[in-house]
Amino acid sequence: MADDRKIKAVITKVGLDGHDRGAKIVVSLLKEAGMEVVYLGMFNQVEDIIQAVVDEDADVLGLSYLSGEQLIFTPKIVAEMKKNNLDDVLLIVGGTVPVEDIPLMEDMGVDRVFRAGSLSSEFIEYIEKNIKK
Amino acid sequence: MSQTEEIKTDAASEKEEDWGEYLKGYYEKPNSFKTWSGLDTKEIYTPKDFDAEKHYKEKVGDAGQYPYTRGIHANMFRGRIWTKREVVGIGSPADTHARLKYLAEQGGTGLNTIADVTYEMGLDADHPWAANEVGLTGVNITNIKDMETLTKDIPLDQVSWSLITAAPSAVATMAQYIAVAQGAGFDIAKLRGSVQNDPIHFGYCGFKPASPLDLAIKLGCDIMEYCTLNMPKWYYTTVNMYDLREQGITAIQEVAYGFGIAMCYIDELVKRGLNVDQFGPRFTFYVACHVDIFEEIAKLRAARRMWAKLMKEKYGATKPGAMHFRFAVHTSGCSLVPQQPLNNLIRVGYQALAAVLGGVQSLHCCSYDEPICLPTEASHLQALRTQQVLAYETGVTNVADPLGGSYYIEGLTDKIEEKVLEAMAEIDSVGGMHEAIRTEWLDRKLEDEALLRQKEIESGEKLIVGVNIFKSDMEKETPLGVQRVAPESGQQQINDVKEQKRLRNWDNLMVAMQRLKDDAIAGKNTLPAMIEATKANATTGEMIGTVREVMGHHYDPMETIESPFTFK
Repeated sequence: MADDRKIKAVITKVGLDGHDRGAKIVVSLLKEAGMEVVYLGMFNQVEDIIQAVVDEDADVLGLSYLSGEQLIFTPKIVAEMKKNNLDDVLLIVGGTVPVEDIPLMEDMGVDRVFRAGSLSSEFIEYIEKNIKK
Repeated sequence: MSQTEEIKTDAASEKEEDWGEYLKGYYEKPNSFKTWSGLDTKEIYTPKDFDAEKHYKEKVGDAGQYPYTRGIHANMFRGRIWTKREVVGIGSPADTHARLKYLAEQGGTGLNTIADVTYEMGLDADHPWAANEVGLTGVNITNIKDMETLTKDIPLDQVSWSLITAAPSAVATMAQYIAVAQGAGFDIAKLRGSVQNDPIHFGYCGFKPASPLDLAIKLGCDIMEYCTLNMPKWYYTTVNMYDLREQGITAIQEVAYGFGIAMCYIDELVKRGLNVDQFGPRFTFYVACHVDIFEEIAKLRAARRMWAKLMKEKYGATKPGAMHFRFAVHTSGCSLVPQQPLNNLIRVGYQALAAVLGGVQSLHCCSYDEPICLPTEASHLQALRTQQVLAYETGVTNVADPLGGSYYIEGLTDKIEEKVLEAMAEIDSVGGMHEAIRTEWLDRKLEDEALLRQKEIESGEKLIVGVNIFKSDMEKETPLGVQRVAPESGQQQINDVKEQKRLRNWDNLMVAMQRLKDDAIAGKNTLPAMIEATKANATTGEMIGTVREVMGHHYDPMETIESPFTFK
């Protein structure tokens, strides 16, 4: 990607899960790291999330989960991304997920999962190094 | 290779510099002398810090004596051990019932069920937004049949049941519980337990669409009023300071904002003509215990003293019960991390100790897998056992407020009281709690504090083992396994709800719903009409939706479906 363009990330909650403390912190920390961040907030359906990624021409999509819905919504997100040819968007997941789910989500097509307790240095560095566009 | 040889080989590969960190460790000092909430502490606290006799007489007093700093009962746990009440909510009403029964058989002493996100939002199980999420984080109760399944064979007039529905849908929960109890022939005046019913705070747990302020106060206070008049043994609210704290605020802000919300309800109850001595004794709180043991104990003592003063001086309470700060503790979920997860057992143990030393009435210990998944049966049991070791082995039940008189604890209790008063004055300076909520001042405050907490961890100012100190490779599996909610569990309930809706007598339902709507328009208490509507097979979404419409909100908080009713 061109040097003068900021990395652009879309961060979102999915479905009814209202636990947004983590997502909002991630939004602030990514902004402080110089990225452009669009936070979709709560109560988003899969189609709306993907539409936002397309509209924003985002480099990164970050999904935040706390209510145990990660294995339900993630495959739907991945399928919708494929349908929209978003292979060059980095897909990351953050939140309260068991370690057992990490390989499952990676197999689905998630690039990286960051559990609760991850430090911003970890995910900022990961995004900067692995951006696909 | 034998073990001895293995050790030799490892030793041979070690270099002197590998020991550098270890050698430094011997001389290490704490990285901070501040409490978790950022209060400075002194090296030692001594009798010189205050006039002990005068201080005791004016600010502390014995347990059971105003201002109740040392406890609301003179004999505290000698009279009754705290209620060991583990939160349960998983899958369908039947799944939740099974886990409740299991924990009761293992020595739990209070039943405790939590609503899932769909129920809190006031959505029926067959709502389009609910389809993927029924039962994932609690239990959904859509209709009377669901509540019958949840409470099956349980003697409701003898148990103590805590119903954790916080949102405006708490009024549906109360209606469903009362309807089932009456149907089974129980006298509702004998029912013991609580409903969380703190709809204002629920807007700050990410559920704003379900909890507009006017609806929150209206329906919240309908429950409070109805229970005050009809259910003398029932605790009709548990103002949830815990959830506010979990957003990232300090112990001081937890008390200040919690009291601010509590006063919104009390002002409304007084406005409705209820006497503070009449309703005050059934007003309760849900409080966090984070990991700074002394700060949490001091917070609980300060809150008890401040609430007593507030009820007496501001609201004119004269009965001791109306001045009591009665509370349940939920150990801090956000203090637990998935890294090195067994460490959470220790954190919870310390937090539970703080709760008990602070004079708790009812306790939920988080399971060690709180930051991973819903509790498994094994981890749930472990959490209960944590309480039981504390209650039966350690001697903490012998003496009321065993840390009272500690120079540090008394000094810290005073300091927290002073800081809480400052935080409450700050709310007043923006126009009071209503204004703080309306202008989203409180939203910004919570967000700013959450970011500060994260930065304290990032900078190493606050240490968390496994996160920013003593890190290790990610574990391969969750030690006691992972709790899953079977997809068919939610689906079954969705199907059942659809079937129930199809089978019900629409004419009977319409009569009940018309009454509910009329009562809401007339500004009457909506709970009596909801009890009758529940008996006529009205659902959670239908009852809450109908009142929402009367108050000028969309029938559906998700603005996806419309009311199925055509009213006169």
